[in-house]
Amino acid sequence: MKLLYTKGGRVAGIRIEGLTRQFGSVHAVEDISMEIADGDFLVLLGPSGCGKTTLLRMIAGLIEPTAGRVLLGDTDITYAPARDRDLAMVFQSYALYPHLTVERNIGFPLRAARLPKREIAERVREVAGQLELTALLGRRPKELSGGQRQRVALGRALVRKPQAFLMDEPLSNLDAKLRTATRTELSALHHRLRSTFVYVTHDQVEAMTMATRVALLNGGRLEQIGTPTEVYDNPASVFVAGFLGSPPMNLLSARISERAGRLRAAATDLEIPLWAGSDAARDVTVGLRPEHLRVVRDAEGSPAPADTAAPADTAAPADTAAPADTAAPADTAAPADSTARADSTAPAGSAERARLRGVVTGVENLGGEEVAWCEIGGQPVALRGPRPVGLSRGDAVTLTVDLDQVHLFDRTSGRRLAWQPTADKPSPQHTPSTQRLPQRPAAAAV
Amino acid sequence: MFVEAALTAATAAPTSPAGSGEDSATRPGLAHRLRGAAPPYLYLLPALACLVLWTYKPLVEAAQLSVYHWNLLPTSPKTYVGLANFQRVLQLPQLRGAALNTLWYVLGLLPFSIVLPTVIALVTRRLGERSRTAYRAMVFVPMLVAPVATAAVWRWLYDPSGLFNRLFGLGDHNWLREESTALPAVLAICAWQMLGFAVLVVSAGLSGISPDYAEAAEMDGASRWQILRWITLPLLRPTLLFMLLMTVLLSGQWTFPLIDVLTQGGPADSTTNVYYLLWEFGFRSMDSGLASAAGLVFFGCFGLLAAGLVKLADRFSFHDD
Repeated sequence: MKLLYTKGGRVAGIRIEGLTRQFGSVHAVEDISMEIADGDFLVLLGPSGCGKTTLLRMIAGLIEPTAGRVLLGDTDITYAPARDRDLAMVFQSYALYPHLTVERNIGFPLRAARLPKREIAERVREVAGQLELTALLGRRPKELSGGQRQRVALGRALVRKPQAFLMDEPLSNLDAKLRTATRTELSALHHRLRSTFVYVTHDQVEAMTMATRVALLNGGRLEQIGTPTEVYDNPASVFVAGFLGSPPMNLLSARISERAGRLRAAATDLEIPLWAGSDAARDVTVGLRPEHLRVVRDAEGSPAPADTAAPADTAAPADTAAPADTAAPADTAAPADSTARADSTAPAGSAERARLRGVVTGVENLGGEEVAWCEIGGQPVALRGPRPVGLSRGDAVTLTVDLDQVHLFDRTSGRRLAWQPTADKPSPQHTPSTQRLPQRPAAAAV
Repeated sequence: MFVEAALTAATAAPTSPAGSGEDSATRPGLAHRLRGAAPPYLYLLPALACLVLWTYKPLVEAAQLSVYHWNLLPTSPKTYVGLANFQRVLQLPQLRGAALNTLWYVLGLLPFSIVLPTVIALVTRRLGERSRTAYRAMVFVPMLVAPVATAAVWRWLYDPSGLFNRLFGLGDHNWLREESTALPAVLAICAWQMLGFAVLVVSAGLSGISPDYAEAAEMDGASRWQILRWITLPLLRPTLLFMLLMTVLLSGQWTFPLIDVLTQGGPADSTTNVYYLLWEFGFRSMDSGLASAAGLVFFGCFGLLAAGLVKLADRFSFHDD
């Protein structure tokens, strides 16, 4: 059984170089380069129309690129016909041949390769056994349920031991429960086969749970590529930040300015002290994950009314005073630690905390958790925590967040801003700020 | 004590007692309900009326006429003859030849209603949108020309001093007057005329097949020929069976106007078919009883053929969903 899937020492990484596809004047895919290592489970993630399917179909050979190259291992396959690429694909519609039985459907690639009938039957039986399709081998696709069809499509891909698997939203036609189960199965399959998977989806849960790496696409361009943890924890752009997470990252317009040797991001009812340093004032987008926001409570443990919380710089003691605060378990578990982290980034030693003041506009019950929607200076902000978060509509709230969980993006380019301390490397033109843009330096010109 | 929890608060409350009583109280009168239900049937009425008037009524009348001897003159009496007309039909010396010719027409048309259209549809499928439309329109045009006009033009082409003889250097061969070439000549015109229709039908059938299958097969490593043989043609089978049915049932009618204009069944009955024979009995010999009996016999035969083909189509069709 295991032997069936051991690959004959083939290296089947896929390299994409400057791949572009135009339909008329529309760029469906624009200048995308990436390296998909052998054994990667790469998920192409993005909203509809972002070019992810076009990119997959170019890798598959079903669409010719306008420019760029596709390499499989060391072979340039940019213009090789799909049938010669040794890649298997699972279609969104499954594309099971309606006139053939399950057995003939799974065996089709082997029949096309003119393998002897006995070997075909043997391998089909083996794959069918693994996918629990043995009892269905004599049926036609229309006599199968959605989940069974999906498994047949998978079996047809598995049976030929291809160099890589391409999947175009294979779970989108399944119901929620089956999708969850199949997700686990696919992950297990990838683990067992150790082959390369390229998987297209618009579902971030599929991407986060199955991928070894996620490539986020937007408008035909690659926004970011990295492990699920990387793209979630360090989104390279406002788009990535606003796409991942449920609800996604809160994105608030603010302005960075310097006051008394410290930088701070501020907007109406929002004040986030950053770190010591100086830089020219600039417009930014502040990103805050809903699960990183914490409610600042007064001594009684109820949400502090906005007015009473307003007096300056009492946030830190108020926070530590909240004893059984279920809304922020991480914080109550190690309050000292979080302060330490803040201090390390803010060597000035100030106890100043980020402060967002607003009103709760609604609370959503997700079962295990609750999402409180607030309005902060006219901008919607979601807070997510274990149920109950202890807020109700109309409450005035003050929220805070740890400094290392604050994301900053340039307002115009949308790219992530990273702070580079300039103390050790003084800049000649007396503008000590360095704006390091992690992904594409070219975008900094915007 | 445990108590099973109610599903929701609402189900605990008693269901509305007014339910059915209220329903019957507001039930509208019969006339009103009829008026409400009528529109769908009214929409169907024109089609149904045509069907009854042009198909079912003549069929019943043909069945009635087939047991009488009558020469179609309103003043002359109808004589009841029982099944004698059917006996005469089966004993007719011309019937065998006409039936055989009908078979030749069907077999001769099949390449032009199935094979060639499939090839043309497959080839033009790869063309661009505009050129494909242009080619298909060109192939379809003959279908739009009236058969009598077609016949007139082709008669000139077939003339002993016509274009064909000159083009192929065949001397003064009289295509439509020679027993050996009259039927193929008529057949050629019919084939030319219906090819466009067949191409259109097959093209429609092809475009009804999801391109996913061919792409999946390509990913599965199948060559073009394999895709055609194992995927495209099997999925096209319902369309091809439909064209087979059309050819078998309608070739007699498609050739009828051409026979009538060009050869009147001649020379020596070499181009006649069962429909032309039937027409001759009815409207040349004015033997309405014989014609009706013949019509019923053909109706039965073609009905059986059609039933068989439909059954075949059901067995070999796979609709994707």
